[in-house]
Amino acid sequence: MKNFAYLLTLLLVCSFAFTSCDKDEPMIPNPEEVITTVIYNLTSTSGDVVVLSWQDLDGDTGGDDPVIVGGTLGANETYTGSIELLNESVTPTEDIGEEVAEEDDEHQLFFETNLPGITVTYDDADGDGNPVGLKTMLTTGDVGSGTITITLKHEPVKDASGVAEGDITNAEGSTDAEVTIPINVV
Amino acid sequence: MWYSRISISFILLIAFFTCDAQTCTFTVDGVVYDEASQSPLSYVNIYVQETQSGTTTDEEGNFMLENICPGEYHFILSHIGCEGKKFHIDIDQDTTIRLALSHTHTTLGTFTVEGKKEDFSKQGNVSVNRLTIEDNTNLNISGMLENESGIHLLKNGNGISKPVVHGLYGNRLLILNNGIAQSGQQWGNDHSPEIDPFSADKISVLKGASAIEYGGGNLGSVILSEPKKIEREPHLHGQVNYIFDTNGRGHTINARLEKYSSTIPWRLNGTLKKFGDKSSVDYFLNNTGLEEANLSLQLEKSWNENLFFDFYASTFNTSLGILRGSHIGNLTDLEAAINSEVPFNTEDNFSYDLEAPKQDVSHHFAKAKIKYFLKENQTFEFVLAGQLNDRKEFDIRRGERSEIPALSLRQYTTHLDFKYAHYINEDWVFKLGSQNVLTDNTNDPETGILPLIPDYRSLRNAVFSTVSGRVHKTALHFGLRYDYEYQNALTISSTLPREIIQFENRFNNVSALIAIKNKITKAHSISWKLGFATRNPAINELYSAGLHQGVSGIEEGNINLNTEKALKNTLEYIWLASSKFSINALAYFQRFNGYIFLEPQDEFRLTIRGAFPVFIYQQTDANIYGIDLSSQFTLSPSLVGVLKYSYLKGQERENDTPLVFMPPNSLFGSLTYRVQSNIKLSEGFRMEDSEIELTNRFVFEQTNILPEQDFIPPPDAYNLLGLKFSTNLILPKYKLRFFVKADNLLNAKYRDYLNRQRYFADDLGRSLSMGVNLKF
Repeated sequence: MKNFAYLLTLLLVCSFAFTSCDKDEPMIPNPEEVITTVIYNLTSTSGDVVVLSWQDLDGDTGGDDPVIVGGTLGANETYTGSIELLNESVTPTEDIGEEVAEEDDEHQLFFETNLPGITVTYDDADGDGNPVGLKTMLTTGDVGSGTITITLKHEPVKDASGVAEGDITNAEGSTDAEVTIPINVV
Repeated sequence: MWYSRISISFILLIAFFTCDAQTCTFTVDGVVYDEASQSPLSYVNIYVQETQSGTTTDEEGNFMLENICPGEYHFILSHIGCEGKKFHIDIDQDTTIRLALSHTHTTLGTFTVEGKKEDFSKQGNVSVNRLTIEDNTNLNISGMLENESGIHLLKNGNGISKPVVHGLYGNRLLILNNGIAQSGQQWGNDHSPEIDPFSADKISVLKGASAIEYGGGNLGSVILSEPKKIEREPHLHGQVNYIFDTNGRGHTINARLEKYSSTIPWRLNGTLKKFGDKSSVDYFLNNTGLEEANLSLQLEKSWNENLFFDFYASTFNTSLGILRGSHIGNLTDLEAAINSEVPFNTEDNFSYDLEAPKQDVSHHFAKAKIKYFLKENQTFEFVLAGQLNDRKEFDIRRGERSEIPALSLRQYTTHLDFKYAHYINEDWVFKLGSQNVLTDNTNDPETGILPLIPDYRSLRNAVFSTVSGRVHKTALHFGLRYDYEYQNALTISSTLPREIIQFENRFNNVSALIAIKNKITKAHSISWKLGFATRNPAINELYSAGLHQGVSGIEEGNINLNTEKALKNTLEYIWLASSKFSINALAYFQRFNGYIFLEPQDEFRLTIRGAFPVFIYQQTDANIYGIDLSSQFTLSPSLVGVLKYSYLKGQERENDTPLVFMPPNSLFGSLTYRVQSNIKLSEGFRMEDSEIELTNRFVFEQTNILPEQDFIPPPDAYNLLGLKFSTNLILPKYKLRFFVKADNLLNAKYRDYLNRQRYFADDLGRSLSMGVNLKF
């Protein structure tokens, strides 16, 4: 009611006195849910560390291009993989990976690559024994170059055919992150 | 006062003659006519509640009742294709009356040069009467208009729909609730108008340019939702309405109470709705339920001969579910969802639960109007109105955030209208008015998401003038309007660090109208309207920025947009061949310069969620044209048929490419059979006006679209068959109406081009509705 009375006064004042009717400055919302950064840390059995990353700080509608950092892997190697999901648009940086771990039954990461020799297997599970994908094992094959696509699904159908094995085809749900990063196998 | 100040539904022409009050020798005779066309109605049933007797009008609409005792009577009129009506009449001498009924079917109801003082600017080409409204309160306001020619619905699922008239909707279509432009988030294709149809007695559509008085910026058609004046009926009257739908297991309850009390006449309307998941032919459409609670109050008061006061307040509150499977992520998800036979996340169980994605919307409205008679033929009107639209949209979010809206807007609008009318003589009326509208839109930062629409304040000041009159059998109407709009928008930068960017815009808009109606002969009439209007770009077209989850696209405003200009030409021809056959043909051509539309961009934008298509507001030159045809034929006193056809084409002029989201052509037919004889069940109990109505709606495939303009080709043509049975039970003090209705009787599997859910799911399967209505 108070608001209406105020606006009505404003209407009268603005319409007939032509004084300033400008809107107050809005509060900038705090986008704490956004994922700005996906990092895939790979550590080989011999201790070599490869970091693949994808970062877009200004979000969906931002004008700046994402920063994508690819990596080089050794042929016929096995790597321990771990995923980091970050929101770097807020200070301090928020760890979205923690949120995913808390709601692990509602999330699953998928790893797809166009390099035939590479396989990614899950190395973690949610309360129901279904994979999550924050922890993985990656093995490489022959020499080659290509890309790896990492997808985070929200509310996937984890018991659909092939989903537990990492096949995204029947996963449904909605995509919270989907990044494609170049890789070389030498 | 020589013209109707309060719309008195009947005129008593009293024949003076004295008589002994105790004898039952009075005669009541008169004529019943159609309110809109003023033509007499034959075969109207007239029933006198107190005497439990009645009669029927003859071919010329005349009737006579004899041997009436002095006293107060209630006459109940009913007619095929008409809304039944009750009149309160005091009889203490021989009486001649003229009674008006409003017709359900619209063919007849548009041309009244002979009716002198009717408001030219408010004559609808299409109107939905109270009976249709009562029988369809399970639908929303848009749903009531679906079968009319030239009108289509833009839907998102089945709970959310907005009307499209001659291809225009949203910012380009004015919806007047009680004479005030409905203010809300009109820009959204998935935002229904927040009006409870049950509170209206008439919903009409004015096609062609007509709304000089009501609001600038609209480029043609207007939808009016209006309650009628409170009947001059000293007793408390009311009704209760209940409808059950099998599809969605929906319950709709309405109630209305009214009294022309001597202190202050009042009317109260209320509606409650609850629907669960609707179902298509093969599966449940999960999370498509809705809840709604509405209330409205209408007051009227006149202190003396010169001063009248109207008050109307309403509250509309709804929670609408959106198909779970239509909430998807990026382009990859969209493709997967489109290719999926059954929508994602479809469950086998029915549920009333409403979860994200959903919309919670409240709309509160209040209006006060004062009408003052300066002289007998000069009036001064002052209207003050306020609206609050509170919209919250919920998406599926991570970490318990689904409870936090992803879009949360609060819009206040205040209106201040002045209008002066001078009835110069029997034929000419001059009007002069002004309008001031202030809109204030604020995002709640609780969302944690950058807003799609910025915070803004806009002020619109307008002046207008109209002149209408009549020269012999030609009615004329001229209008001119000027609108000044000031916009102050505060957007948040899309780049880091986030900053607030302030925009100030000043726009000038002009509208002009010429209308000529000519009644060539009693049977033929023709009318022509030419309207020019400009519409400045709306806030969403200039500044929207963000992801539309339901269509998985990024929408971006364009700060370089200019004012849109439109010239609309409408030609209407009515042929009342006989009381048994009539045709109404309306052709229109609207030429746009700088038509604002969302243009899909060639490249996709890469975000952390994958690739998204980008849509940017652009301008082009375009034409929208079409034909609406409707015809009514009375095959026998008990059988009436209606046929309606709409053709529409929207084309960009420069490259000759089709405009997207233009309604496909459609054909509607109905056949109504009325049982002529009334069945007397016992003393004082009668069953009357039983009707069977068969309807059929065929919607053609939208072929005027290029493959690159959409993700998938438009859906195939479809045909929906409907059947309805209704009857009325007349009790000594009450009237009970029952109906059973089947929609999509043959359980056809279909998708509709204008329903955004078509990417993901089939449209509704068969639905049965059962309704009961008690009037007292």
